[in-house]
Amino acid sequence: MILKLVNLIILLFVPFLMAGLIKKTKSFWGGRKGPSIMQPFYDFVKLMKKDFVISKTTSAVFRIAPLVTFTSVLFAAMFVPLASGSALVNVSAGLIVFAYTLSLGKFAALISAMDTGSSFEGMGASREACFTSIVEPAFFMLIASIMAITGNFTFDSLQNILASAGSYGILITIFAVVVLFIMVLIEGSRVPVDDPATHLELTMIHEVMILDNSGSDLALFTWANGIKMLLISSLIAYMIIPQDINEWIGVLLYLAVMAVISVLIGTVESGMARIRMSHVFEFIFVMSSLALVVLALVIARMFGG
Amino acid sequence: MNTFFIGIILLLVGGIIAGLFSDRFKIIVLSVFTAIASVLSLTPAVKVLFGGETLVQTLNFNKLFGAVNFVIDPLAAFFIVVICLMSTLAVIYSKGYLKPYMEKGKDIRAHLIFLPVLIGSMLSVVTCQNAFMFLICWEIMSLSSFFLVIFENEKKEVRRAGIKYLVFMHISVIFIMIAFALMSISAGSFDFNTFASVIQNNKHLSNIIFALLFIGFGTKAGFVPFHNWLPDGHPAAPSHVSAVMSGVMIKTGIYGILRTLTFIGTPSKAVSFAVLFVALVTALYGVLYAITQEDVKRMLAYSSIENIGIIGLCMSVGMLGLSYNNNAVAVLGFAACILHILNHSIFKELLFLAAGSVYTKTHTRNMEVLGGLIKSMPATAIMFLAGSVAICGLPPFNGFISEFLVYFGMIKGLSIHHFSSVIVFLFAIAGLAFVGTMAVLCFTKAYSIIFLGMKRTEAAEKVQSDVDKSMLIPMGILASLTLIIGVMPQFIFGAVLKPVSLLTSIENVYAPTAIMWSISVFALLFVVVLSVLILLKLKLTKGRIELHETWGCGYNSGNNRMQYSASSYVSPFLSMLKPLFKKVFDVEKPRKLFPHSAHFSLHIEDIEEAYVINPLLKSDEWFLSKFEALQSGNIQSYIKYGLIFLVVVIIGSLFVG
Repeated sequence: MILKLVNLIILLFVPFLMAGLIKKTKSFWGGRKGPSIMQPFYDFVKLMKKDFVISKTTSAVFRIAPLVTFTSVLFAAMFVPLASGSALVNVSAGLIVFAYTLSLGKFAALISAMDTGSSFEGMGASREACFTSIVEPAFFMLIASIMAITGNFTFDSLQNILASAGSYGILITIFAVVVLFIMVLIEGSRVPVDDPATHLELTMIHEVMILDNSGSDLALFTWANGIKMLLISSLIAYMIIPQDINEWIGVLLYLAVMAVISVLIGTVESGMARIRMSHVFEFIFVMSSLALVVLALVIARMFGG
Repeated sequence: MNTFFIGIILLLVGGIIAGLFSDRFKIIVLSVFTAIASVLSLTPAVKVLFGGETLVQTLNFNKLFGAVNFVIDPLAAFFIVVICLMSTLAVIYSKGYLKPYMEKGKDIRAHLIFLPVLIGSMLSVVTCQNAFMFLICWEIMSLSSFFLVIFENEKKEVRRAGIKYLVFMHISVIFIMIAFALMSISAGSFDFNTFASVIQNNKHLSNIIFALLFIGFGTKAGFVPFHNWLPDGHPAAPSHVSAVMSGVMIKTGIYGILRTLTFIGTPSKAVSFAVLFVALVTALYGVLYAITQEDVKRMLAYSSIENIGIIGLCMSVGMLGLSYNNNAVAVLGFAACILHILNHSIFKELLFLAAGSVYTKTHTRNMEVLGGLIKSMPATAIMFLAGSVAICGLPPFNGFISEFLVYFGMIKGLSIHHFSSVIVFLFAIAGLAFVGTMAVLCFTKAYSIIFLGMKRTEAAEKVQSDVDKSMLIPMGILASLTLIIGVMPQFIFGAVLKPVSLLTSIENVYAPTAIMWSISVFALLFVVVLSVLILLKLKLTKGRIELHETWGCGYNSGNNRMQYSASSYVSPFLSMLKPLFKKVFDVEKPRKLFPHSAHFSLHIEDIEEAYVINPLLKSDEWFLSKFEALQSGNIQSYIKYGLIFLVVVIIGSLFVG
């Protein structure tokens, strides 16, 4: 029970810390001191208190969408194993419910961006919809391959991979972690796909979609995006943290993995520029091809004598 | 069973009687007749579905076709439920939709006769168990829907679409006829019951028959590459007719294939894989082209192709379950198939009706000229939104349930330890995920371009009010059904069990009750939490909202022509999949110092139409033009042809007989 409560607190609060840590890392590489690691949380609190400025063009869709996105991310979290133990709802094919619930949130965010009638936001929505359409099949293929080899149809299969696939397990884990890390970059709208630091560039995807949101709407969208990043990172953590350890050590290890991922993201952002928009597809296809490699490894392990 | 026939007769009579009334009451009378007929036909069907015995009624046509069996088994019963429900709502809706036409003085009496004939013929198609009678009903169904499609026959493109539809239907029926003839010859009877025993022992024959019937019925359903009539037929027809055709009629093709499966027993692995491949291609092809469309009804027609693909995929998962002898996979596949038939008919009818409402108010089907309609037509906008979310298969709506089941079936299928099945299932899972995300792209586009943002042209600006109640109520019923099924799937699942047990020949069907319950609780909680949050937000933010222009990055006079358009929304996606489309540009560049005119338009053609159908038509035309001389317009020569034909037939029969 206490562990579940800890999970909930981690789910709601750690996204802010991750965002803060990424900023800190970027400041470190840039030779600056940088804002406090808590800064994203202070921003959030401040935004929640603010009033709204809303476009005249918008309709009720625009006002409800942030709530739909936020709720759907929270509900999707029920199907993902967090800091300790299995997912809250650990059913077979929970993957499907997880992904489709996230899609619902995305659907709401897309139409809310289009509701403003702004060409900027239309552009962001168009790109977001387009990139997701390639990311999701690769994600499904990856998880389903792992399910095939472990014979377990819940997210627990991620944890069993090392035990059930022998020497192949290590290879599969490495590739799977890379795929999921790329997915964190894409879904969390980080460099090299998207640049969360600037608002007014034509190259933006997620940031430009929420250009017209203000007050708690903006806060909810940012929070939801952070939680989404945390959820996908949790899958990475679940793959690499050993099974048979004390629960509390598990929690600590989990937090450590989250910190490592944040530092990695910050380092990637400091080390490379955003890819040109026309080449983003190629980057996403890297993820798909790596997912295919995992599939090939799984098949080789299962039928390769 | 008698009430079922009374229902059909009432339908046929209703069409004629309705024509006798004055314009104001015509459709009300027809709606009453249809509603009563539906209730009468539904009663035996519901009884069969929930535990009753299979009903059989033999009608004796003596010399003509002998004894004909009409059977309501669980499979037929399920289709009867879908047909009755959807048709009644469409007929009620047509009152508002046809009103402007009647006011212009259009005679709708023929339309009112063919509409119930279509419904009646669909009901007989799914119950008739005699090959000969089945073909007759099938033909009546095709013809009556043809006459419904060409309602606006003064328009050239409508006539063209109608004839295309007619041609496709008649090519497809040849395949069905050949297959039925093959089976009846070997069985020595036209009755479906006798077919099974003949072909189950003959693997070779059963494969040929399945292929023939799959092409024949698949054309009706819209499987790629036999889909080409759909994107032309649906936009041409009035909206309530497209709703019935897309929601129900194309499913009779699926019914045909399912019925075939009951003859051939356990399908071979090769056949199941082939069906899976065709279905996946259909789904991908349908949704890809749905994305490119600007005509909302054409877009919906392509999305029907996509959904037929998904239904086919579910079916093939079920078939693979049977061929690998894995009961759980078979049950999940067929359950998903049957449920998706119901779900698709609900949300597709809803979307077609909503599109029809938009057409009634704006007189255009082109999305690019609409926009901002949510302000003048809020109710229709909510209905369309419910339909869009449902068709994308997102929780907590009904589309999610069937998609979840088929994913679950495929994931369970991964435990079948065979090289080919594991690979195929993995790719099918990824493929279905791709279809799902593309559907999101397609419907976010359609919804936001039609209903959100600023009004793009006068067509959208002149709309003052929402449509009549008689149009909103059927849509409201459908929209609430999408939510109810999505939130309480475990109860609907009960209705699916018996048809599934018929298809899989498993007595006690394994039902994933626990998972259905958890999805139900999940969806219900989601709805509750979301509603509470929305109410809270309304309460807390009252008076704290300031209205301004949309932020244009410092540019303050953004106007409605600067919005993202439908084609710009999808252009990054299309640029990624360039080779799959044939783009036809129509460009006139501005010239000289003071250019007079310039325009740009982009039209995306169906590659099958561009590279297969059109060349075929051309060569066909060339071939047939060689026989032009025969058509002299001279009555004497026609009599001569008739005489020659008779002589040939008589001589021929002498030799053969």
